[in-house]
Amino acid sequence: MPLLVGDKMQKLVLFARNYGIAVITLLLFVLLAATTDGFATERNFRNILDQQSTVLIAASFMTIAIIAGNFDVSVSAVFVTAPLFALTVENATGSVTLAVLVGIIVGLAMGAFNGLVVTRFKVNSFIGTLATSFMFFGAGYLISDRSLMRPAGDIYQQIARTRYFGITSATWIAIIVVIIAALLLSRTRFGRNVFATGGNQEAARLAGVNVSRVQATTFILLGGAAALAGILNSSRSISAQPSDDFSFVFTVLTAVIVGGTSIAGGQGAIWRTITAAFFLAFLSNGFNLHQIDPIWQRLIQGMVILLAVGVDAWTQRRAG
Amino acid sequence: MADLTSQNKTLLTLSGVSKHFGGTQALVGVDISFERGKVHSLIGENGAGKSTLGKVLLGVHQPDAGEMMLDGEAIHLRNPAQGNDRGLVGISQELSLLQNRSVADNISLGREITRGPFVDAKKTRENVLATMERFNMHLDPDVHVGALPVAEQQKVEILRALSRDARLIVFDEPTARLASHQAEQLLELVRSLANSGAAIVYVSHFLDEVLKVSDTISILRNGKLIRTSDRKTETRDSLIVGVTGQEVQNQFPPLSPPDLQAPPVLSVRGISRAGEFEDISLDIRPGEILGLAGLVGSGRSEVAHAIYGASPLDKGQISFAGADLSKASVSDCLKNGMALVPESRRDQGLMLSRSLLENVSLPHLRQFSGVLGLNKKREYEEVDLRCKETRVKHEGLRHPVDMLSGGNQQKILFARAAVGQPKLLIADEPTRGVDVGAKRSIYDLIVNLANQGEAILLISSEIEEIMGLCHRVIVMSRGRISKELVQDNLTEQAVMNAAFSGG
Ligand SMILES: Nc1ncnc2c1ncn2[C@@H]1O[C@H](COP(=O)(O)OP(=O)(O)OP(=O)(O)O)[C@@H](O)[C@H]1O
Ligand SMILES: [Mg+2]
Repeated sequence: MPLLVGDKMQKLVLFARNYGIAVITLLLFVLLAATTDGFATERNFRNILDQQSTVLIAASFMTIAIIAGNFDVSVSAVFVTAPLFALTVENATGSVTLAVLVGIIVGLAMGAFNGLVVTRFKVNSFIGTLATSFMFFGAGYLISDRSLMRPAGDIYQQIARTRYFGITSATWIAIIVVIIAALLLSRTRFGRNVFATGGNQEAARLAGVNVSRVQATTFILLGGAAALAGILNSSRSISAQPSDDFSFVFTVLTAVIVGGTSIAGGQGAIWRTITAAFFLAFLSNGFNLHQIDPIWQRLIQGMVILLAVGVDAWTQRRAG
Repeated sequence: MADLTSQNKTLLTLSGVSKHFGGTQALVGVDISFERGKVHSLIGENGAGKSTLGKVLLGVHQPDAGEMMLDGEAIHLRNPAQGNDRGLVGISQELSLLQNRSVADNISLGREITRGPFVDAKKTRENVLATMERFNMHLDPDVHVGALPVAEQQKVEILRALSRDARLIVFDEPTARLASHQAEQLLELVRSLANSGAAIVYVSHFLDEVLKVSDTISILRNGKLIRTSDRKTETRDSLIVGVTGQEVQNQFPPLSPPDLQAPPVLSVRGISRAGEFEDISLDIRPGEILGLAGLVGSGRSEVAHAIYGASPLDKGQISFAGADLSKASVSDCLKNGMALVPESRRDQGLMLSRSLLENVSLPHLRQFSGVLGLNKKREYEEVDLRCKETRVKHEGLRHPVDMLSGGNQQKILFARAAVGQPKLLIADEPTRGVDVGAKRSIYDLIVNLANQGEAILLISSEIEEIMGLCHRVIVMSRGRISKELVQDNLTEQAVMNAAFSGG
């Protein structure tokens, strides 16, 4: 029997899954605004927005990939490597436009490679993108000759740091990308096909959905988004450096999972991912403002993830 | 098994049991009792509450109101494990086995005999074999469950229930996925389980089956118990009246003959696929209902999938409405005007966690897409219209389909096909798990479509359906066409003979 919990519990869990994150984020916001000096200030919010911009861009498209039924661990590698390509082009040609274009194309190409590995060779997406991660990291070392890279001119740093109406261009770009992703998922044929593919692959196929193409597309888009995030990040710090740093993908995944997107596929929403990203940002911002030891931050974050995954597992069992 | 001579025969009694899901009243004040040694059938329309009642008995659902007495003692089951512990077990509508484990593992799952911290594999296995012996149901204990045909998998599930000293066994539509001779065997088994003292709750839409196997029959309608009566006082007609609340009408709607001069809309020539089917040729004209009969596993669904572009051909040609579709994909076939209602709605038809709306419109999204993305209003109106036409009973188009009863889920697939206004509808076991009333409405749908000039390819294991609905029948056996039957040649006996012939 698939059902292991009572009916009341189920309802509660379902509600928690759909709206829990919004309620909790609102509560945290009110709590911090009431108790913490320096939280509810325009400056602080601008900072949070700016810091979160790269995560929001990647997390939106990660949500789409996970709804379609796949994981992508290689987001970190694209995030690290694409700006190295962009800066190589910038250093060589002086053209920032060309640099950004090449950086994003590299991201799209890496995404396409992931898509090929997962849909054509039927490799489990978690394992497949773990493997490609190392290839992409390797490409980063090769192109940068293992060294820190800086832009040659001073336009590159403007990409993320120009202010419009007091808000950084990185924030504006993130807002636009999130809106595009949300529209793509909720208002287009592609979005429906993503839900259908993650919901029941065989049924989607028999309903005429080209399942492989849909999944590959989610990888390609995510690759492009991760590259854009990486470029913004390098523009903000006016440098880029090859590394094997996986931390970015964990931040991104945390937002998606805490946002209640099912790791089994077929369910999720971008607004919830975005809300969760802000929840996590408020949490760490609050800790920082209170100058609490970051160790506690980790412990709490870990518990939040477990809670979110627990809710997911429960609802999955219900659907069983 | 329980001792029949001890105390009275009543095992489990429900009084005033109600259960609602959101706004749906699935059970309303139900009083019913189940006796040892008796087969007690539950019948009723789709969504009447049969499965819900079964699940309340097993502890899967908790009633909102009412009492449950087991052996004269009040019980409150909070989960199915508590039900299992008391010998209340279920054979579910959808099988729940571990496909990658052996038969013996599945049967003993959760009840392995242990010695210290370790599983005593030998004893556990002996236990399994003893259960098989006791009930005379023999299966190879070492094969993987996934490799077994459905009927055998079901036996594994039954053996699992039996290995727990079941006192009450709920069978929820156990024969819906079986061929007729397998169904016969299952009915015998159900009888023998009752004779050995278990209380059996038997849910089915096959009235003949119910009349054959039951001692007692209860009819549910909209969550209410309409009546419980002795099998001997019921007839097929009295049950139909009880289930539908209407006078008996003909089981099948009248057919009008297709235009025999019209050129075929679908022409299949010599198609083959290694290991599945060989050298299949057939034509269907507009307005014609062609039956594809044969045993389960004779290759009918595989042929249907190949025509529909879902699996590639090794050899042969398919031409459809003037186009060559021999190498077409599913989406090409859809675009050209085909539709498929697949055999298994849960595995091949529906995204259970998604809404009715999304499920119905999925193959036809192009129709609602413009430069600005989906036109959701137009989509909603179209889906709403089609759901009304096919009389899907639902609480809202945005609710997930897994909350609908089985028959309504099936109707959703017809609503989906209707959105595309297809020229050819392939319906693979379209009335599986569907109640008498809804069956008739699905038959009406099919016949209406044919009258409007659509070609229908109907795959069915129910011989009455084939006889009652089809203009012409092709019988398959072991991947080949063994006979084509029309008019005077088309008799039940001829279909059966052809199905069992070597091919
Ligand atoms: N878990 C659930 N959540 C919400 N509604 C449910 C749930 N289970 C059943 N229902 C609703 O309760 C009603 C009774 O459903 P039930 O499954 O008991 O019908 P049934 O008689 O078994 O029908 P069928 O013959 O189609 O299997 C239906 O309207 C159904 O939609
Ligand atoms: Mg049911």
